[in-house]
Amino acid sequence: MMEQLLSNIVVALKRIGLNYDFLLAANERSSFLHGLVVTVQLSIATIIFSLLAGFVLAAMLVSRRAWIAFGARAFVEVTRNTPTLVQLYCAFLVLNMLITEALKSTGGNPLTPFIWVVVVISLHKGAFHAESLRAGIEAVPAVTLEAASSLGFSRRRQLLLVQLPLAVRFALPSLINNLVDLVKMTTVASAIAVGDVTYQSIMIWTQRDNVLELMLLMLGFFGLLTYLVNLAGRRLEHHLRMPGYGG
Amino acid sequence: MADSVQSSAYAGEPSPLQLPQRGWARLALPGALILGVVVSLIAGLSSLTAFPQAPVLGYLLTWSPALLLGMLANIQISVLAIAIGTLAGLVIGGLQLSSLRVVRVLTHGYVQTFRNAPMLILIYFSTYVFPFELHLGTHYVAFPDWIKVTLGLALPASANVAEIFRGAILSIPAAQWEAASSLAFRRTQLFRWIILPQCLRRMLPPWMNLYAGITMGTALASLVGVHDLLDTAQIASTTVNRVDFTVAIYFTTLLLFFVYCYPISRFTHYLERKYAFI
Repeated sequence: MMEQLLSNIVVALKRIGLNYDFLLAANERSSFLHGLVVTVQLSIATIIFSLLAGFVLAAMLVSRRAWIAFGARAFVEVTRNTPTLVQLYCAFLVLNMLITEALKSTGGNPLTPFIWVVVVISLHKGAFHAESLRAGIEAVPAVTLEAASSLGFSRRRQLLLVQLPLAVRFALPSLINNLVDLVKMTTVASAIAVGDVTYQSIMIWTQRDNVLELMLLMLGFFGLLTYLVNLAGRRLEHHLRMPGYGG
Repeated sequence: MADSVQSSAYAGEPSPLQLPQRGWARLALPGALILGVVVSLIAGLSSLTAFPQAPVLGYLLTWSPALLLGMLANIQISVLAIAIGTLAGLVIGGLQLSSLRVVRVLTHGYVQTFRNAPMLILIYFSTYVFPFELHLGTHYVAFPDWIKVTLGLALPASANVAEIFRGAILSIPAAQWEAASSLAFRRTQLFRWIILPQCLRRMLPPWMNLYAGITMGTALASLVGVHDLLDTAQIASTTVNRVDFTVAIYFTTLLLFFVYCYPISRFTHYLERKYAFI
């Protein structure tokens, strides 16, 4: 039934000059679908870890200890001003190689390309989140902080219980922007042969020479993913909205 | 962009707790980073003369002209892409404000599509879908990969410029149009002398952000076989085939991109602060 429907669609598309034959070949279809799943997994893992990294870096950026703030600032600047692909190569081709060398005697390197992509993109986008959150933290009115310290909040509890909850609300639009960027950025995973949708598409179009058709599918897929991230973001914004702050 | 809007919107709020530290960090960081680059360069060169037996530095020196040529390819692609993208983007951004509904819908679709598409996919798209040579009358003109990559990067650039331009025009209060026309400015004069100067000022920081982003996007060109900095680094790494050299060459690549992009980002930051209260 599904099979029949699919082949009807493929035939109909062929009439307008688009060759989607690969959807009828079971192995190619399943590798493409698997690519979609890997991209979604990659996106979800990276969204979670990038937010964690962002919170830690933001806390470091506003630290009173100058060396912590300075270290975090240097990391953020280097990360923001270098290409993700170069960072990925520095991590995967250089650090991974060194780790493999070091662990040769103890039974091999447990880190997979997938893990490296998650680490690199999380830290990369974490730096962007940290900047957004820092702006949000600094936007918290000074009187609020004075009130909190007069109520006996320690500096750490002020940051966690007063500044961060407000900062998240202030920073949410730009955090969502960063997450949309992050989803698009997962395509670089194909550069180190993680089997995401880009990689699987390359494999298919080198066999079938149907680049345009796969491009359209991928654009639609990423359009859907970014739409979902945006939608979730707007829901969250609405959910967290406080009377008197923002529109 | 949202970040910059936000920070400038709240920049006026006094926060006495953090100001001294922020002032210190703002001055110290660029200085320290530049100092770090200079020191590492001097250290590299001096250890080269002091320890001629350290072969990594020798290799690095041998490969440095190739690396710089590769970097030039990146800069060339980025400059051309932003130029094409800016021209196209200004036209599209203008059309987005058209009074014809069909034009607005089409340009809006274009902008949404190319802003939301991953850069890498657009680069693959332009590399494999465009022909490898053009047929002009009786002549065949080669259509090299680096130009295709340039066009692939110009697509998102144009969509972003269109959005930046549209945003800038719409950010000028409508009252100014009315005031100027009541002062008997013609529409072209009004645009040239009142709207445009303010728009340019507002567009410059996000436009420079975009340029830095496009420059970083050029690293993706190596994936479709354009001979750029990252591609050169990969060739060097496999040719020399030494662990220490591989470490050095990739971090040099990172450093070169940083040296090019960081001043742009500092300057953007400076402009944002300068224009924040106008």
